[in-house]
Amino acid sequence: MGSLLQIVFDALSLGSLYALGALGIALIFGVMRLVNFAHGDVIAACVFALLWPSVDAVAIVFAGNLPWFLLIPFVLAVGAGLSVLSELVVFRRFRRANPATMMIASFGLGFVIRYFLLMLFSSRPKSISLLPTLSQPVEILGARIPLLQLITILVTVAVLFGLTAFLRRTRFGLEMRAAAENFTMARMLGVRANRVIMGAFALSGALAAAIALILGSQTGTANIMMGANVMLMAFIATVIGGMGSLAGAVLAGFLLGTVATVMQVILPPDARAFRDAFVYGAVILVLIFRPQGLLSARGTKERV
Amino acid sequence: MKRLLIALAATTCLTAPALADDDRIVVGFATAETGFMQAYDKPAQDAAMIRIKEINDAGGLLGKQIEVVNADTKTDRAEGAKAGLSVIDAGADMVVVSCDYDFGSPAALAAESSGLVSFFLCAESIKAGIQGVGPNSFSASVLAAVQGATMAEWAYTKKEARSFYRLLDTWTEYNKGICDGFDWMLPQLADASLVGEDTFLNEDASIAAQITRIKSLPEEPDAIMLCTMMPGAVSAIKQIRAAGINSMILNGSGVDGSYWLSAVPDLSNFFVPVQGSIYGDDPNPEVTAFNAKYKDATGGDPSTQYVYPGYVMIDVWAKAVERAGTTETSAVVAELEKMSGEPTLFGPRTFTSEIHHQNQARYLIVETDAGKPGVVDEWTISKPIPVADLMK
Repeated sequence: MGSLLQIVFDALSLGSLYALGALGIALIFGVMRLVNFAHGDVIAACVFALLWPSVDAVAIVFAGNLPWFLLIPFVLAVGAGLSVLSELVVFRRFRRANPATMMIASFGLGFVIRYFLLMLFSSRPKSISLLPTLSQPVEILGARIPLLQLITILVTVAVLFGLTAFLRRTRFGLEMRAAAENFTMARMLGVRANRVIMGAFALSGALAAAIALILGSQTGTANIMMGANVMLMAFIATVIGGMGSLAGAVLAGFLLGTVATVMQVILPPDARAFRDAFVYGAVILVLIFRPQGLLSARGTKERV
Repeated sequence: MKRLLIALAATTCLTAPALADDDRIVVGFATAETGFMQAYDKPAQDAAMIRIKEINDAGGLLGKQIEVVNADTKTDRAEGAKAGLSVIDAGADMVVVSCDYDFGSPAALAAESSGLVSFFLCAESIKAGIQGVGPNSFSASVLAAVQGATMAEWAYTKKEARSFYRLLDTWTEYNKGICDGFDWMLPQLADASLVGEDTFLNEDASIAAQITRIKSLPEEPDAIMLCTMMPGAVSAIKQIRAAGINSMILNGSGVDGSYWLSAVPDLSNFFVPVQGSIYGDDPNPEVTAFNAKYKDATGGDPSTQYVYPGYVMIDVWAKAVERAGTTETSAVVAELEKMSGEPTLFGPRTFTSEIHHQNQARYLIVETDAGKPGVVDEWTISKPIPVADLMK
């Protein structure tokens, strides 16, 4: 019982990470059909924002020394700010470009962010002790799980409820949903496009920052490539969830986390090294049977 | 130090390429000055430069000053081959290549085809040498497999560890090498058993599922053999301890250094094999003296033990040249292959016509206790790992 519960927690916490990432990508895709590949690099930048630039082996912790009630808003603000900045400086100029062009631009932006970090911090991974109190086990119904795992799951659930309330209850949320469904029509009906897009970028950036906080305290490492893996999984989650569908992205994120965890548990030792091949195999199967994704967004369907 | 490098590079660049010039002895560094390998190559190269300066200050090698030429591999395999050719054109008698087999081999192969001796700065794969490059290629470090074997035998003998758990990060050959050595040693230890094994990927955001498997064992294992490297190592160690697993953790040398310990506050029961101590407590006071020299030359203390192979490399090569009385390749290789237990600052070194790498070596054991690393013991595996087992 205890170990089964443990596996459930493992799956949920990994799924939470992917779900938060997928949500960040789906939000932007929803309003402007942009697959933002710079998202992973925003995650890395948020972690590095805690350090003072240096190429030494030992990290010089700067903002990372703040107490948690200042540290968390600071990182969220950095993520949101960086994301809004990328919209203002780069993506605003691609409003009329086709999605493929925007996607390439986002790749470009991702490289710029990554190499900027490389310049300031070198390629050497840095170690930081972020929110160290979370690195202790807690006992729940006979399962001893790291406190951080529990917090990750709780934070994700809170974010999901908060976001749902925001999208359903506020005027801004309504505008955002309208824009996601049919952007041109929404504009004609008086939705201020730039404001909605900016809002989506800010939310997406803050979600990237949340991932950065979780990854940073889980791994204790700042590495310029650290966002790449989560970004890839999150992107896959948005695709199998149905591009543009926020609920689909979250569902698929949790599903991917679960499949990856279960594969690690059930595969024989020799096959475990190829776990990701099995996970991606499952992704291909899903796409064969539901090419439009699990929950397809209404706005993205071809209208004949 | 930097000025010395530039001056040496400038003088050698001005001289026309002269392969058979008898007045000069040239060491060519085809290593990474940019890109991610730079973090690994630069410290070992700095140590090599210290040994070169020592030799030059003492009157040089065969009465000549050692000169240095450099070419940047840019952490790229294609650029590596070009860098190799460029230092050979500049008259290198010996070619030093990148720390890693994959990134160093293009330049090493260029040296091999020009009939020159090449040395990997700190590669720890059996391929870095005769098996993967050719009969004139050497590595200055110790095989990864020896690290795994050392930790297994030492923990068994000195810590009475009997139940072992094996956790392998399948990212690199180096990681697999550590676990291969562990796998070779374990069956030779009476009543030691492998109670479980698992794999993960260096970039995995979470190894929760792997940890759950360890926790579902009836008893916590005495020791966990962790075959991984940076940056994933920190993440794995942090998560193992955060889950409340207190077994002793055995590692390869790749996790040496105190620069990352802030990520896992108060880490204890954690063991790493090292060739020399960067913590100022090496049993050989000359190592501590070397650390001071390194600080003078580079402005910082060595951050890991991977500084030391660079020093050993120039040391053994220069001794072979001195004994051969020439830099001619076949004579130098023959002298290197005669070395059996050749003393160096960082333990004895042996090369044979079968293997140009260390398949048995003295390691210092560093224990991290309450976040403080320090040397607690030293260990040499009871017999060398046979080449046939290394090639599996």
